[in-house]
Amino acid sequence: MSVRIRVNGVEKTLDVDPDMPLLWALRDVLGLTGTKYGCGEALCGACSVHLDGQVVRACVTPVRRADGHAVTTIEGLSPDGSHPLQRAWVELGVPQCGYCQAGQIMTAAALLKAKPKPSDDEIEQSMAGNLCRCGTYARICAAIRKASGMPEGER
Amino acid sequence: MHQRLLPFAVAFVFAGCGGPTGDTPKGPTDLRKIAPGELRAPSDFAGIEDTRARSQALFLEASRVFTHPRCVNCHPNGDIPHQGMNMQLHDPPAVRGPESHGVVGMECTSCHQDKNQALTRVPGAPHWALAPLEMAWVGKSPREICEQMKDPKRNGGKSLAAIVEHNAHDALVGWGWHPGADREPVPGTQEQFGAIVAAWAESGAECPAEGARP
Amino acid sequence: MSQDAMRVTRRSFLVGLNLSLAGLAIGLPALADEPSGRAGPSPRAAAPEDGPGLRPNPFVHVAPDGTVTLVCHRSEMGQGVRSTIPVLFADELGADMKRVVIRQADGDKKYGDQNTDGSSSIRKFYDDLRYVAATARTMLVAAAAAKWKVKPETCEARGNVVVHVPTKRTLGFGELAEAAGNLPVPKRENVKLRPKSELGWANSTSLPLLDGPAYVTGQAVFGADLKLPDMLIAVIARPPVVGGKVARYDATRALQVPGVKRVVEMPAAARPYGFQPWGGIAVLAENTWAAMRGRAALDITWDLGDNAGYDSVAYRDTLLASVHAPGTTYRNLGDVDAAFAKAARIVEADYVVPHLAHLSMEPPAALARVTGGRCEVWSPTQHPQAARTQVAKTLGLGEDAVTVHVTLLGGGFGRKSKADFSAEAAFLAREAGVPVRVQWTREDDIHHDYYNTVNAQQIRAGLDAKGKVIAWQHRTAFPPISSTFSDADRPGITDLQQGVLDLALDVPNVRAEACPAKAHVRIGWYRSVYNIFHAFGIGSLIDEIAHARGADPREVWLDIIGPPRIMGLAALGIEKLANYGESLEKHPVDAGRLRRVVERVTASANWSERKKDGRGYGLAAHRSFVSYTAVVLAVVPDERNKVRVDEAWICMDAGLVVNQERAHAQMQGSVVMGISNAFFGGVTMKGGATQQSNFRDARIARIGEVPRKIHVDLVPSDGPPCGVGEPGVPPVGPALANAVFALTGKRIREIPLVRGLSG
Repeated sequence: MSVRIRVNGVEKTLDVDPDMPLLWALRDVLGLTGTKYGCGEALCGACSVHLDGQVVRACVTPVRRADGHAVTTIEGLSPDGSHPLQRAWVELGVPQCGYCQAGQIMTAAALLKAKPKPSDDEIEQSMAGNLCRCGTYARICAAIRKASGMPEGER
Repeated sequence: MHQRLLPFAVAFVFAGCGGPTGDTPKGPTDLRKIAPGELRAPSDFAGIEDTRARSQALFLEASRVFTHPRCVNCHPNGDIPHQGMNMQLHDPPAVRGPESHGVVGMECTSCHQDKNQALTRVPGAPHWALAPLEMAWVGKSPREICEQMKDPKRNGGKSLAAIVEHNAHDALVGWGWHPGADREPVPGTQEQFGAIVAAWAESGAECPAEGARP
Repeated sequence: MSQDAMRVTRRSFLVGLNLSLAGLAIGLPALADEPSGRAGPSPRAAAPEDGPGLRPNPFVHVAPDGTVTLVCHRSEMGQGVRSTIPVLFADELGADMKRVVIRQADGDKKYGDQNTDGSSSIRKFYDDLRYVAATARTMLVAAAAAKWKVKPETCEARGNVVVHVPTKRTLGFGELAEAAGNLPVPKRENVKLRPKSELGWANSTSLPLLDGPAYVTGQAVFGADLKLPDMLIAVIARPPVVGGKVARYDATRALQVPGVKRVVEMPAAARPYGFQPWGGIAVLAENTWAAMRGRAALDITWDLGDNAGYDSVAYRDTLLASVHAPGTTYRNLGDVDAAFAKAARIVEADYVVPHLAHLSMEPPAALARVTGGRCEVWSPTQHPQAARTQVAKTLGLGEDAVTVHVTLLGGGFGRKSKADFSAEAAFLAREAGVPVRVQWTREDDIHHDYYNTVNAQQIRAGLDAKGKVIAWQHRTAFPPISSTFSDADRPGITDLQQGVLDLALDVPNVRAEACPAKAHVRIGWYRSVYNIFHAFGIGSLIDEIAHARGADPREVWLDIIGPPRIMGLAALGIEKLANYGESLEKHPVDAGRLRRVVERVTASANWSERKKDGRGYGLAAHRSFVSYTAVVLAVVPDERNKVRVDEAWICMDAGLVVNQERAHAQMQGSVVMGISNAFFGGVTMKGGATQQSNFRDARIARIGEVPRKIHVDLVPSDGPPCGVGEPGVPPVGPALANAVFALTGKRIREIPLVRGLSG
């Protein structure tokens, strides 16, 4: 089956199993390897991308669901890495191993779009699906606050 | 509890103690013995001559589905859905959100698809979402669920016919019989369940007594 | 490294180094949108190894155009080594970071030890690494001095130029590179290190994260991110029990899955398992999804082998029985039995810590290509030299026919020290005749880990009438890591260095014993290793002693540690101390440093006022990797898990810290991982197979399950650098158990604590 997806603003036509998770379509077929595999069961959030602006876990989202829709990955979040979250992430040294961070940033980007000044509770609720084994959570919160123009708090 | 309903309530409580496969004591009815995964047919209740009692018995049969963790888990009485037969709090930690669809970044449909997916345990069905708070079933008795279900203020403004239709054909309801992975399905089939609910409505949509359990 | 891989890596690294925090200009074309449409960047050949210029050693190269190439020979797995070693080099050299290219070293003995474990990258090599760069600087200065016919002492190297200070003349590193390259390499005694005042890192608490921009734009290259032409993806069905074999299999249905190309049987692993691939049936496909579906369609009957009787519930009793009998004594001071006989009271308890799974966010993955009798591997490995050795062994090749390139690691924690997944890729690439990338699923990662070992301890303290501890007996049983490589069936003296033999005790009668424990799974290094459970047992018992005495735990900690002093072997009651490979002269057991972290962390946490705010406070301290760390946690009731850590304070004395900013991050991460270990940690085995399979049942802390505030205090020090990556973790577990006790009155002596809380 042929699936048409607007990926990071570019129309793509993929000839793939419609049940292939979007994650593997992005990584193996389109070569967008910024989106990571972490669990395959929507438990860790490493594969978080935007489908028409909504956060979805690409590892469990069949590519057919994206047919005719727009997908944004970390590679397309900003043209030059200048999204306020990307800047805050670098300035505050959020990543340790870096593997989960694309998913963290994509979830945070959707959060800030919906709630430009989220409370700490709102940050925790929205980021609850994104695991980080290195334990960068405190800095993730600080970077989200910084990107939203709020005081970072203690990081 | 109303005095005159007591005999029925007692009878059904006894039946409940042994479970569907247990010895059903002689009472006003002798319901057909069935396996835990089965659901009785409306004809199994034909022997209950009192229409009101029959209607109540039909609802109790249906409540074997309503009160099953598979259904109750997404009818929480708070802001957090449950999961599993042990009804643990949902992990990842999803919350209800303003529209019962989760919150940004953790929407129900961030993970749940329109059907169960291969090679993953994430369950899926169309419109996966929490029931609104007024439709909470966690901790509710069959009678409370029944009264709630009939109350247009708490059932999304549905008529009795719409309730029957919803239970008989809604795809999200239907997921309960096809939960995927190694999950235990709710008893019977959606068709059998729809028939029970329809028979309950036709027989007056009576609610069982407070202590009554299937 | 081949060119495409290098291109990507270099570009990412260059981006990092050119980072201007104000501008953050990242002008990268989207790699994935290359015209070929091929997924991912494909590896090509490396930047030239043998270009002209100055190359005094394998770590530093100065090119005639002024580009300074610095090699990072240790693997980046989140500890920030790629933002640390190159900075150390560049500052010592006087290079301008804008002209620096960082190269990740392949596995090669010419770099010395590359095994990125044991919190050792700076601890072991700090001086050597500085001399590496200072040697190059000395040669550049000598070349400039010769050109100007002045004394080298009148010249300085800074900002990528050599300056003749009196005349302010300058020559760029590039201009000097070839002349310097023709000079003899000076001996170490003729090379002078810079004073601390000249070193940028020594005066910074905010060194930039050089790979940051690559991480946040998706350009960082991890194990699964590379693709070669004609490459197939392999997903392997491995025997559920280690040592198991394929009895029979039918691949008919697997081969019918669209995209599946081949099915290959892996060789079975034989004891000792070491780094051998685990065995099983591999499905090779055009994409990961097809490989996963193909694996699910395999019909396999396993011969489970002789580990199939392993049951972790029964084994828990076996371990407890083991520590309830005398073991081999490795620490003996005074007369312990006599002291217990006259003790006014005895506080004793058993502690149990289960196997822990690493659960790095990136499951193992590796890419291999075998052509013309040579093998090239790209792997997120902590130990590229071991990967090279195992790949050579698996393929029957000489090591010189094997190249191992190191990608970034999506977490390692010790799991990726092991070479099994690299060898799997190499074996399959040879069998398939095309490049193969092996992808482990999360289930594979949990089922086929090299787990942190399982442990039981019995600790007894004898108190005199005043409550002073006069006798201490510590028994510990765990299958040692050496069981993975030999038939070892009990811990030895080297294993007991981790928290048992080096424990500073102001107690006149001390005995520590190692008790038998046979392994039935692959045991391996896991961040902080045996220190996790030894700190848990010791730190819990000290809190129990405090409770028994009705005393403040802080005072009891300081009382038991005793006055500031250096403890030699005799004072410790031991014959030798492995001491993480360090001499006792350089890194003694220093009771004063352990005291100091306890004092500092309790001061930060306002410990003496702890009973006023309604939270439960717990304290613990531990020496590991020759560093000293103390932790205070404050816990509160929680709807989901009964208890949640609300605030954390961690104080570490790690000697001189090169990258304080990353050390700060490591301390924050240590608190989180310590909470995961203690609160949720533990995988169990039944019938020899691991019962957990994904993050649903092998839980790690989520954002709402860790403290919002983690206060980090690094003790200022000019002492020799100690470990940083691991020492933060061990005291967290006991501090949590002690805090839970303070809040709930429930003493939980077994991990995971969450089970004790709900039970």
